[in-house]
Amino acid sequence: MSVLKLEHVSYRYAGTDKTILNDLNYTFEKGRVYSIVGRSGAGKTTLLSLLSGLAAPTDGKIYLEDKDINKIDKYEYRSKYVGVIFQSFNLLPKLTAMENVILSMDIAGKEYGDKKAHAMELLKKVSLGEEEASRRILKLSGGQQQRVAIARALSYNPEILLADEPTGNLDGETQAEIVKIFRQLAHEEGKCIILVTHSPEVAEASDIVYCL
Amino acid sequence: MYILRNALRSILQSKGRNILIGIIVLVIALSSCVALSIRQAAEHARENSMENLEVTAQITVNRQAMMSGQQDKESMKQAMANMEGLSIDDMKQYADNSHVKGFYYTASTSFNAGDGLEAVDTTGTADSESEDSSDKETPGQGMEGVGMPGDTVQSGQQEQKKDMGGRMGVQGDFTVTGYSSDEAMISFINGTSSIIDGSMFAENDVEMNCVVSEELAAYNQLSVGDTITLANPNNEEETYQFTISGIYKDETSSDSAGSMMSAFSAAFDSANQIYTSYANLQDVVARSEESAAVTTDGTTGVESTTALRSQENGTYTFASVDEYQVFKEETEAELGDYYTVTSADVSSYEQSLQPLENLSRYAGYFLVIILGIGGVILIVMNLFNIRERKYEIGVLAAIGMKKWKIAVQFILELLCVTFAAIIIGAGAGTAVSVPVTNQLLAQQIESTQQSRQQQTDNFGRGAGGTPEMGGTPEAGDTPDAGQSDYISQISSATDITVVLQLIGIGIILTIISGCAAVISILRYEPLRILSNRE
Ligand SMILES: Nc1ncnc2c1ncn2[C@@H]1O[C@H](COP(=O)(O)OP(=O)(O)OP(=O)(O)O)[C@@H](O)[C@H]1O
Ligand SMILES: [Mg+2]
Repeated sequence: MSVLKLEHVSYRYAGTDKTILNDLNYTFEKGRVYSIVGRSGAGKTTLLSLLSGLAAPTDGKIYLEDKDINKIDKYEYRSKYVGVIFQSFNLLPKLTAMENVILSMDIAGKEYGDKKAHAMELLKKVSLGEEEASRRILKLSGGQQQRVAIARALSYNPEILLADEPTGNLDGETQAEIVKIFRQLAHEEGKCIILVTHSPEVAEASDIVYCL
Repeated sequence: MYILRNALRSILQSKGRNILIGIIVLVIALSSCVALSIRQAAEHARENSMENLEVTAQITVNRQAMMSGQQDKESMKQAMANMEGLSIDDMKQYADNSHVKGFYYTASTSFNAGDGLEAVDTTGTADSESEDSSDKETPGQGMEGVGMPGDTVQSGQQEQKKDMGGRMGVQGDFTVTGYSSDEAMISFINGTSSIIDGSMFAENDVEMNCVVSEELAAYNQLSVGDTITLANPNNEEETYQFTISGIYKDETSSDSAGSMMSAFSAAFDSANQIYTSYANLQDVVARSEESAAVTTDGTTGVESTTALRSQENGTYTFASVDEYQVFKEETEAELGDYYTVTSADVSSYEQSLQPLENLSRYAGYFLVIILGIGGVILIVMNLFNIRERKYEIGVLAAIGMKKWKIAVQFILELLCVTFAAIIIGAGAGTAVSVPVTNQLLAQQIESTQQSRQQQTDNFGRGAGGTPEMGGTPEAGDTPDAGQSDYISQISSATDITVVLQLIGIGIILTIISGCAAVISILRYEPLRILSNRE
C-alpha cells in the first residue's frame, strides 16, 4: 500500500517560466528504500520540498495515504509524519547537537521517557560521541553536521524519511553505516525512506530508483 | 513549556541585544515610574485634602457680569445701586437643596458708643468724628466703595464685602455681628478666638446677651454681667442695651486686614467687634426701623432713613467638594448671571494644590513623550531583531514548529527582558521618586511664587486685586491667597497603583513592539527564507 503518491505533479517556481518537474506519477510504499537520481539542477531538492509540504505543486496532487497533503496541517505533517534531512542541514547554529535533536522531539510533542538519553542514543547511532553532542553546531564539521541532521530527522520516529544527499559529505565507510541504518529502518521497522543521491553505491543499495 | 525554555535559552544566547533592549526599557520604566508617582502623589494629595476639607460657600453678586451688561457708566451705577445681595430668606430657600449640609448666617451692624462706653481707638475716627461725619453723609450711602470686612478678621472667611459697603449705613465705632448658630462662629470653632471669662451667649439668644473683646473690656473696665449701651450712629438718641455674657480673646488681633482697616475706622478694629445672636440683632434692627425718620432729598429724590441697616451674610456648608460643585451648578442656573456661588475653601484648596497639579500635568506630558519615543525605538529594534533571526524562524518552521508558537516564543523573550527591566526600573523609581518629586515640587512652587511676586511688583497687588480695599477681587480670592500654603512635600509616591500601571505599560510596550515582530513572522515562508539563506 502506498504511503505517498504523486499524481500528474508539475512544479514551476513562481516568477519563472521553466517547468522543473513535469507530470510526475511516483508511488512510495512503506518498507522500501527509494533513491531519486538526476543531474544537478534536475529538481530533486524541489521534489523533496513538495513531499515535505514546504511547497505545493503547481499542478497535480500528492496523497499521504489517501489524503491530499495540501489539505492537512503541514506543520503537524512535518513535525510528526515526515523526517526531513535537508541538503543544507538547516540546523540551529547556536544550539548544541543535542539541543537540536531535543528541540525536534519537543516540537513533535511526542512523549519520551528520557529525551536526553534518547537523543544521545540516536547521535551514537550516527557515530557521534558525547563530546560532539554537547558542542555547538557551528563548531562541528560538515559531515558531523550532516549526521546531526540525520539524528534529528529520526528523533521523533517518523513514518517517512526524506533525505537530500544525506551522505554527500561522508567518507565511504560512514556512508555505508548510514545506508545500513536506512535499510534497517525500511526493512525492519517498515518506514518509507526516500533518498536523493548522486552516489551510485547509495542508489545500488536502495530498492527502487527514480530518475529525474 | 519547551517554548518558554527556548525563549530563555535564546535570551541567554544573545545577551548583547537583550541588554540593549533591557537598558531602553529600564530608562522608560524609571522615568515612567517617577512620572506616574508624581501623578499618584497629586491624586493622593487631592483626595486627602479633600477629605479634610470643610466646604463652605456663599452666594455673591457677580459684578463683572452685571457691569458687562451695561453700556455706560450711568447705567452701570444704576444697575449696581439696584443690585442687592440676596436676603437671608432667599438664601434659606437655596439651603433646601439636598446637597447642602448646613446653612448659617450672620448680620453685622455698625453702632456708636452709648453712655459710659468708649471704643478702643488707634485712629482718631471714633466718637466725635464719626458723629460729625454722620451729619454730613447721607445715611445709607456712607463709605460707598470701601469694603467692609465684617468678621473677616476673626473668621478668615470670605465675605460679601464688595457690594455691601454702603448698605451698613454710617460707620460707627463698633461692629455688632449676630450669628444664627454656634456653627457660624468659625473663629471660635477653629480656635483663633476663645472665651476667657463668662460664657458664650446661647444659640438664638433673645436676652440681648453679647460677648466683647478682652481689649474692650479692659479699656472700659467691663466684666461679665455688665451692661453696655450702643447707639444708632444716625440717631444718638436711639440706644440699645446688651448684657455681657462673656469676654473673648482674639489670637489674631494683629491680623493684617484688620489692622489695615482699623486705620480707617474704629469699627474695623478687632477689639471693637461685639458678637451676639442673629435673633438679637434682628430684633434691634426691627425696633430701629419702627422708630426711624424717613426723609426724601428734595433735589435727587433719594429716600433716606435713620434706621439701622445690617449687612447680611449666609454661608452654606457641604459634606464634600462634589456636593458643593453640584450645588454651585444647580443654584447658579437658578440665580441667573448676576449671582455666583463661590467657596473660598475650595479655591484656596485648589490653590494649595496648584504646584503639585502643574507638576502632575508636566509629568503626564513627559510620560506620553517617553512612551512614544520608547515605543518607536523598541519597534525598530524588534524589526531588526526579526530580520536577523529570519533563518532561525525558517528552520523552526521547516521542522514543523507552528508559526504562532514561534511568535509566542519571540513575545515571551521580549516579555522576560521587559519585565526584568521594569522590575529594576520600578525599584530604582521607588527609591528616587519621593526626593525627585519634592525637588521638582520645590522648583514649581518657587516659579509659582515668582510669577505671583511679579504680579505684585507690577500691579502693587496680587492678581485679582486686594480684597481689603473692596476693589474688584476675584470671587473667592482670599486675602492670603498669595502666600505659600502650598503642598510642598509628599511622603510617599510609588504605590501598588503605580506598579500596576508600570506593568500595564510593560505589557503595552511588549505588545506594540512584539506586534511588528509577529506580523513579519506570520508573513515569512519557510522555503523562501531557507532558499534565500545566503
Ligand atoms: N527559489 C527558486 N526560484 C527559482 N528557481 C529555483 C529556485 N530554487 C531552485 N531553482 C531552480 O530549480 C531548478 C531545480 O533546483 P533543485 O535545487 O531542485 O535542483 P537539484 O536537483 O536539487 O540540484 P542539486 O543536485 O545540485 O542539488 C534549478 O535549475 C534551480 O536553479
Ligand atoms: Mg539539490
